Amino acid sequence: MTCFTIILANQGGAAFDVDPRKPLLQSLREQGVDLPYGCKYGGCITCAAKIISGKVDQKAQRALNNRQINNGYIILCVARPMSDCTLEVGVESHDKLYRNPFLDPLAAHELKADIATPLEAKK
Amino acid sequence: MTNHCCGPGYASPAEAMTAPREKLLYTIAIYTGTGIQKPDYLCTIDVDPESSTYSQVISRLQMPGIGDELHHSGWNACSSCHGDASMERKYLIVPGVRSSNLHIVDCGTDPRSPTLFKVIDGAEIKARTNLSAPHTVHCLGSDIIVSMLGDAQGNAPGGYLQLSKEFEIVGRWENSMGRIKFGYDFWYQPRHNVMVSSEWAAPNTFMPGFDLEEVGHLKYGREIHFWDFEKKEPKQTFYLGEDGLIPLEVRFHHNPDSSHGFVGAALSANIIHWWKDAASDWQWEKIVDVGNEPHPEWPIPIPGVISVILLSMDDRYLYLCNWLHGDIRQYDISDPHNAKLTGQVWMGGLLGRAPEVNGVKVTGGPQMIQLSLDGKRLYVTTSLFSTWDNQFYPEIRTNGGCMLMVNCDTENGGMEIDPLFVVDFGKEPNGPSRCHETRYPGGDCTSDIWV
Repeated sequence: MTCFTIILANQGGAAFDVDPRKPLLQSLREQGVDLPYGCKYGGCITCAAKIISGKVDQKAQRALNNRQINNGYIILCVARPMSDCTLEVGVESHDKLYRNPFLDPLAAHELKADIATPLEAKK
Repeated sequence: MTNHCCGPGYASPAEAMTAPREKLLYTIAIYTGTGIQKPDYLCTIDVDPESSTYSQVISRLQMPGIGDELHHSGWNACSSCHGDASMERKYLIVPGVRSSNLHIVDCGTDPRSPTLFKVIDGAEIKARTNLSAPHTVHCLGSDIIVSMLGDAQGNAPGGYLQLSKEFEIVGRWENSMGRIKFGYDFWYQPRHNVMVSSEWAAPNTFMPGFDLEEVGHLKYGREIHFWDFEKKEPKQTFYLGEDGLIPLEVRFHHNPDSSHGFVGAALSANIIHWWKDAASDWQWEKIVDVGNEPHPEWPIPIPGVISVILLSMDDRYLYLCNWLHGDIRQYDISDPHNAKLTGQVWMGGLLGRAPEVNGVKVTGGPQMIQLSLDGKRLYVTTSLFSTWDNQFYPEIRTNGGCMLMVNCDTENGGMEIDPLFVVDFGKEPNGPSRCHETRYPGGDCTSDIWV
């Protein structure tokens, strides 16, 4: 079986080989990594992590808006690796995840995918 | 006096008001979303002023797993079973909004130290009913129903989960959700064969946090629904529009003959009142409109964000919390069409009116409240929901939440924060946690419905 290697940058660079068919949360927890999580269906953001390098498939996530995705956030409970990845995990990685919605509004292209206006469409 | 030949609760709201003073509170506290990898837990708090541990957490019941986000809770039985001597108010149903797990907690065997009786696994609820994100729990005579805000994938509108009194999954309670777009809270008034439900948003929308722009994209609720309670299907919907953005807590009068009820529209910061008119048609009106407040650092004035409302057991006073402003208000609603402001206190909030109370820095604002049956003591907690806390009050991560008590003048109106009572959840043994909904062992002002 092909494995990818996941490095947790904010846990001393610990490395884990994971099955690309399984969500990262499941693979990492099975190997003893203590990670936050909640809904396990990609909707609640509790397990959000920041991807430093690499690529994941997270089509099933519904929690992130486009700004959060552009800031590198992924939803571990549904994201499956498509390459080796380096991640920052846990609340320590959430520095750009939360914002006051009144002080820092989203632009039309930064909303969640189902309601965002793509940038090119504004021409 | 409670008649000991009978079942739980009280024969009437008037009898409930004469019950002995509460000595214990059950309050949920969370670590979900805080960075502390510990389970959420149920606190037992000593509120007996004669006790040496008054105003302290005296026991903590951890849930089995992490990430539940405990939020609201409800009893297995209430005054609706008062005539049934085989029923007992013994178990608190404590749902996890994010995990969809339902924790059945035995509070009856040792009220000072509750124990976990059973867990209904969220995965089983999703598989059998296609529902997730449990919120409000009410007991219906013997069975229990829980509003579930999403389907098994976190999409709206969800529905209602029915449990047997032995805490087995019966299935879906409702026969139809009609055209309801979202779920949240519900309350029923059986003598009028009516249930009213309100709207937050899909779990996939509200759980990750609040994107204001999604209100304009109709991702948040602005309607309330009147159900045919016996047929278990919605019958009439009121579109509240800009006056009713995000209608949350639903409260009917405690008087079971009354048709009057109220909902707090969180984002509009309005109180909406409904009633049945002489022609037996339901009507609604806005009776309180909390104005936005300017803030030196904000480009737009801050809305109050009414996160909760509650009625005193005699239906005379309505209490509301403005979670972002930081005030609790008491309105005399003796005439429910004409609410009169009779009291106001400040704690925390973004306006900076009361950053510290009783020696504790208040992080967050007044949020969930629970009133004593006699109407004189209002217990207040400060955390709303982990992700929303993180957006509006990020310092809560290190400071935790807190609980305060407000003394309420039931004769002339008026409120005062009690100077001797404070529970600082910033000092919990496993680190700062956040407190939310509270229940009393003997029933409280949001638990019991008379049939």
